[in-house]
Amino acid sequence: MVELTESFLLESDILDKDHQQLADILNEIVRAIDDGNAGECKQLVPKFVQAAKAHFAKEEAFLVKIGYPNVKKHKEHHRGLNDKMDHMLEFGRMAEENELARESLRKELLFFLMDDVITSDLEFKQFIVHNKASQKS
Amino acid sequence: MKGLHVYGVSHFRGDKQILDNASLLVPAGELSCLLGPSGCGKTTLLRLTAGLERLQTGKILIDDLVVADENLHVPTELRGIGLMFQDYALFPHLSILDNVTFGIRGVSGTEARRRAMEMLDQVSMTDHASKHPHMLSGGQQQRVALARALAPLPKLLLLDEPFSGLDANMREQIREETLSVLKQSGVATVMVTHDPEEAMFMADRIKILGTNGRMLQTGRPHDIYFHPQHRLVAKMFGLMNRFESVVDGGYVDTPLGRLRAPEFEEGQQVEVLVRPEGVLLVSDGGDGVPVEVQSTHLLGHDNIVRVRLTNDIENDANKNELYVRVHHAFEPELSRMITAGVDSRYTFIYALKKNRAENTDPAIRADRSKLHSSKSMRLEIEP
Repeated sequence: MVELTESFLLESDILDKDHQQLADILNEIVRAIDDGNAGECKQLVPKFVQAAKAHFAKEEAFLVKIGYPNVKKHKEHHRGLNDKMDHMLEFGRMAEENELARESLRKELLFFLMDDVITSDLEFKQFIVHNKASQKS
Repeated sequence: MKGLHVYGVSHFRGDKQILDNASLLVPAGELSCLLGPSGCGKTTLLRLTAGLERLQTGKILIDDLVVADENLHVPTELRGIGLMFQDYALFPHLSILDNVTFGIRGVSGTEARRRAMEMLDQVSMTDHASKHPHMLSGGQQQRVALARALAPLPKLLLLDEPFSGLDANMREQIREETLSVLKQSGVATVMVTHDPEEAMFMADRIKILGTNGRMLQTGRPHDIYFHPQHRLVAKMFGLMNRFESVVDGGYVDTPLGRLRAPEFEEGQQVEVLVRPEGVLLVSDGGDGVPVEVQSTHLLGHDNIVRVRLTNDIENDANKNELYVRVHHAFEPELSRMITAGVDSRYTFIYALKKNRAENTDPAIRADRSKLHSSKSMRLEIEP
């Protein structure tokens, strides 16, 4: 099960809340697989992907709003994750019947959320922290 | 999270930037490869993780504990890591058993020897426990090095080009054995390599670095091979057929036919890369373009067939050849005309510079006019 420990927090309520929501869906998927209910992945994986896409849109708007200079690069990074989301959807469709798909899905979800999404977002953590500090002063 | 978490790492040596905002995440039980050309910063990232160099910017955590940031440097021996290098680095004056026992701390001598023998058993080296390193082959020394790295039960294992000192046959065998031992151990592992096939074989996840420590792509071996997001990633796996073209109505024309390119702007100059296995040869007609067989090269399981395009208006012998990878049983006669098509799964399109309207560089303008006038494409073989 995924737990968002301190090193995965951006210190932005809006973004950390989104990441937590994704982690919750991921944990739901892992629980379904562990409990022998992999058929639920057909609904849960699209829910995860939809939440990820909504998060990307919200995050991009947020970064524009706070004037983050590398927004374009980060948008490109988000676009580069489309193939991975397609693969996860495919694994989700196959999960009930196929053990390899279940294992691949489990791994892909973990790497996608913790590395591709959150660790990549940590690139602008310092910017958010400085932005907050300058607003307070 | 159990395992390794690295983020925001930038590193300079003098004025030269070695790493640029590098990150790495390896959960316990997973193996990640850092892959890239010499000087890309992959070994530096490994050394920073090991604590062999002091971190300048960023953060490194092992099992949720910070081991390095701008203000903190936990010494290597206190990070709970195992290290394995290309040169094995066994102590020549110690027996194999003593080499493996050496790093085990906090238990009695008897327990340390029991654990060392258990590790030697995992790598099938118990019969050699009383020997000294010089009495073993390179492959055997590598097995002992793996046992020694795992014996202290590290949280993280770092491997730096571990198989590059072995000959080809031994390398395949040892890396298979190593992979099996690592999967059993459940330890998070980072392996540095410059060999794409080795990374594909070993890794759950591959992280590719380009020059100046720039992260180019991260993903499963499948993602890296079939969905390379950067031209340098696509070209890592050997020979590549390359064309240049211009986007026209959502398509690009190539000597092998029309390809969809909906994600590019109209007029965008692009390069099209096709893997040798993405060119499909048919000996008795069918859809495609006519090509003439120039030579065949047997590589064992596969043949590389060199063919010449006959529809290329440029008619430049150096620029209208293709390399094609086929099963070894397909061995077309020299000078024979056959048909070539393209498999889009092995075809990748990347933007070149800016789009046509914005190109002001004379060289590019000249190139573009040639593309327009000839309605053909430049073709190069990338080694």
